Amino acid sequence: MTALAPVLAIEGLKTYIHLKRGVVRAVDGVDLTVGAGETLGLVGESGSGKSMTGLSILRLLPKGAGKIVAGSIRLDGEELTTLPEKVLARDVRGRRVAMIAQDPMTSLNPVFSIGDQVSGPFRYHGGLPRQEARAAAIDVLQRVRIPSPEKRLGDYPHQFSGGQRQRIVTAMAIGRGPRLLIADEPTTALDVTIQAQMIALLRRLQQESGAGIILITHDLGVAASLCNRIAVMYAGRIVETGPVREVFRNPAHPYTRALLAAIPKLGSRGRRLVAIPGQPPSLIDPPAGCRFAARCPLKVSACDAYPQTTAVGPNHSVACWRAGEAV
Amino acid sequence: MLVLDQVSKHYGAVKAVDGVSLTVPEGQTLALVGESGCGKTTLAKLILMLEKPTTGRILFDGQDLAQMSRSQLKGYRRQVQAVFQDPYASLNPRLRVASIVAEPILAHERPDRASLKKRVEELLDHVGLPASAASLFPHEFSGGQRQRIAIARALALRPRLMVLDEPVSALDVSIRAQVLNLLADIQQEFSLTYLVIAHDLALVEHFSTQTAVAYLGRIVEHGATEDVFGAPSHPYTRALLEAVPQPDPDHVLPDAALLGEIASALDPPSGCHFHPRCPVAVPICPRERPAEVNAPGAGHTAACHLLAAARPLEHAASSP
Repeated sequence: MTALAPVLAIEGLKTYIHLKRGVVRAVDGVDLTVGAGETLGLVGESGSGKSMTGLSILRLLPKGAGKIVAGSIRLDGEELTTLPEKVLARDVRGRRVAMIAQDPMTSLNPVFSIGDQVSGPFRYHGGLPRQEARAAAIDVLQRVRIPSPEKRLGDYPHQFSGGQRQRIVTAMAIGRGPRLLIADEPTTALDVTIQAQMIALLRRLQQESGAGIILITHDLGVAASLCNRIAVMYAGRIVETGPVREVFRNPAHPYTRALLAAIPKLGSRGRRLVAIPGQPPSLIDPPAGCRFAARCPLKVSACDAYPQTTAVGPNHSVACWRAGEAV
Repeated sequence: MLVLDQVSKHYGAVKAVDGVSLTVPEGQTLALVGESGCGKTTLAKLILMLEKPTTGRILFDGQDLAQMSRSQLKGYRRQVQAVFQDPYASLNPRLRVASIVAEPILAHERPDRASLKKRVEELLDHVGLPASAASLFPHEFSGGQRQRIAIARALALRPRLMVLDEPVSALDVSIRAQVLNLLADIQQEFSLTYLVIAHDLALVEHFSTQTAVAYLGRIVEHGATEDVFGAPSHPYTRALLEAVPQPDPDHVLPDAALLGEIASALDPPSGCHFHPRCPVAVPICPRERPAEVNAPGAGHTAACHLLAAARPLEHAASSP
């Protein structure tokens, strides 16, 4: 996977949110790459900074409060953080980088027909005449398996089911052949049988489109079924990254291990769950050392300093002082 | 302890709950699972008496709720408490924790200040919160801690049955296990019976002793959790189980595109509601509502025509 040239390369990214009660270091030194045709799972809990990392790429941060304060984000080698807002809006957002958000109802406008919303970008940004934009919309809706889309272009979002709406949002995202797709909890709002359909769809698009995908999720099951590589985030930083099999079979960071032990799995009936004590630190004033240390069963005095990232296997690295030890 | 006998709840033309019979045995944890529109939340409302059934009876210790006197109902409300999904919505933001936890006690008793304070502190201790939490407001707590406060409130009257409506689905993964373990501990300590409403099948398998699977207002399968998960007998249960993504990169999800959409509860399909999505439907399925028949395991039933055809002599009497 690493042989592919990265579509996206993030280095040392820091995104801070300025609030009245202080500065939240939502993303605090993140490095990651996504190759063409590769799906990277950005896994973590609420507040770990995974969504903020995604929004930083598109510079869709809370207005006035959110700011990229350090680091670089390169898309096919081009630096995005210094790109003027106008250029970013015209060339990047929705075109080279597209996004699928969790709740399809917030991505779709309830008062415009699906046909208008899906064909709009082809007409107004792609410059296609009306009839061609309509044909392009039908084509892309077919790709996401909306049944007889030509008959449904006049329908409004509320006339579709939740699963269909999420597929329509996906159609809008892939419509213009983005290089990078950011899918933020794309299946979380869906019922389990519908979620399985969405996973199947995303997997097919992966193969067809060759785009790099960042899948942001808290659901380790969804991550395992879609991703080639996993990056585990905790309190604004990536604590472990590696090929999906490595991370699930040989998790190296105590947080990753604890997460995997804390979730009930089918077939593991009756076993007591291993809870992680405590809760994540505040990102207004995070600890100087390892941010998981306060909850970590393996904590030693070295953890008072932030751990170096060390390799524990091919493409598998972890930010933990005790990474090399057999524990 | 709690018996639902052919309970239905209709909202206009919508049959949110359509002839459900279920028994919640004392000391057990019955999980009700299903997707949107299956009626699980309406069932919880019926049991909590937030709604009245259109037809059918709900019996508690053999007594029909609809026939209970005022004082009997008050007793019922003491013995049946609930914990809801969203601890941000279920706790009054303007009350201190002490008042939140004391509220159900004050609705039923007139304790003196000192004993009330002591009871609140004991309750907080049971759910793993310090006594100092009593003087704080809900916003000063994390989601997991808020859910602990909601559990303390539910425990306040020493209930016998607790309805847990998606008790951990609003919480972060690392916090869920804490709350699930707490619920398991207090169940032991206070000999509680649980009715848990959930959509997460792995959680249900882990947490419950009995499982009922609902689809569009009806129970399609019901039995001991190990039987329902070990020998799922309704095609819908099998489809649900297969659709769960596993935290295992080598687990292969089936090509779920076959399954189609969940039908609308406004206009459910005829006969067996699942037939348009069912991979093994036969001609009778759209015509007749299937009866509950025995499936492998004691008290394990499923409402499927195919099962009835395969085991013609084992028709379950009527309801479990």
